[in-house]
Amino acid sequence: MTHAATATHDIEKLNKWGGGRSPFNVSYGKMMMWFFLLSDALTFGALLISYGTTRFFSKVWPDANHVFHAFPGLGDTNAPLMFVSLMTFILILSSVTMVLAVHAGHHGDRQGVIKWMLWTIIGGIAFLSCQAWEWTHLYHTGAWWGSFTDPNTAVESFKHLFNPHKPNVEAVFSTHPELARHATHDFYNYFFLITGFHGAHVTSGVLLNVMILVNTVNGTYERRGHYEMVEKVGLYWHFVDLVWVFVFTCFYLL
Amino acid sequence: MSAHHNHDDIQSLYEGDQSKLYSGVLGHHGDARSPESKAQVARIWKVTALLSVVTIVEVLLGLLGHGMPHGLLNTLFLVLTLVKAAYIVKVFMHLGDEKKNFVYFVLMPLTLFVWFIISFLMDGSHWLHMNFTQANTITDLFK
Repeated sequence: MTHAATATHDIEKLNKWGGGRSPFNVSYGKMMMWFFLLSDALTFGALLISYGTTRFFSKVWPDANHVFHAFPGLGDTNAPLMFVSLMTFILILSSVTMVLAVHAGHHGDRQGVIKWMLWTIIGGIAFLSCQAWEWTHLYHTGAWWGSFTDPNTAVESFKHLFNPHKPNVEAVFSTHPELARHATHDFYNYFFLITGFHGAHVTSGVLLNVMILVNTVNGTYERRGHYEMVEKVGLYWHFVDLVWVFVFTCFYLL
Repeated sequence: MSAHHNHDDIQSLYEGDQSKLYSGVLGHHGDARSPESKAQVARIWKVTALLSVVTIVEVLLGLLGHGMPHGLLNTLFLVLTLVKAAYIVKVFMHLGDEKKNFVYFVLMPLTLFVWFIISFLMDGSHWLHMNFTQANTITDLFK
């Protein structure tokens, strides 16, 4: 390599971080969306780890298969995990339609963006409806923020939430049922807080998706020459799906 | 030689109107019916199938896995969850298509979670232990 070539190389290396260009080859808005999602991931992580800490702090814990076993329209059926699986599937599919909208945007295909954004919005609304049903159902079983705090609560009202085959459950209920009541209280507080915080994200995601759809229909992005806004809001929407993957594991599987 | 105000270079637009610029690595416009585009759509559906299968396996383990050792079951759940998360981030969020230094930039802060999870869960179980030994009176329960 000649001396001149080395010098040019050094200047280019310097200029990469010297301003005037993006060293990451990512536009400002997209990078800020990633940073926002990073901070949001830490928030959700803190909530879920706090849930885990409380669970490790408790001698017994409600069993997801015993808490979540209802399905709309099936009355008193025992279908553990079925409804939440449906919700998970809906959210995954709406993430797929979102990535297809982003893909259509990359090719400047306005009709494609409109079609797939519509499906994404429908998926988001379907998920929120499912969550509304699940919350209402749990509310009618006596679960809410701050529930199960009364020391005179009947043991029968929370005993069925625990799996008697799990360690310590029998012993706790025979001598100190209030420990199980405390655990039920903690479990529901975290459940409504975390799924509520996630649901708030889904709600704002649907609103953002509607705004993007309106802009697409109006031709805003076609005039701008690119559909990067679809991609940026798409990142947010995928993140909401991503968080649900972890919420699903923490609340319904582990 | 200055990197600034070089208007032959589209990158200079970063200092001005953001809305006019989309220079990301995904910013190429191509034909939606091109083989590359079709391959990408096929990949999206393949990942969809994979995410669905992993979720079904998780649900089956949740329903039928009670006979398995507790630690093994939980490890399986965590591994499957991380597999799903990795595919969503890599393919759906296109992080796999970004420059490598940006990928590290986004992912490295998340390694804090390793410390975060270990220390807090240990804290929780230590408090439980204390509650049933010296700090609390419920010591008759699990002798």
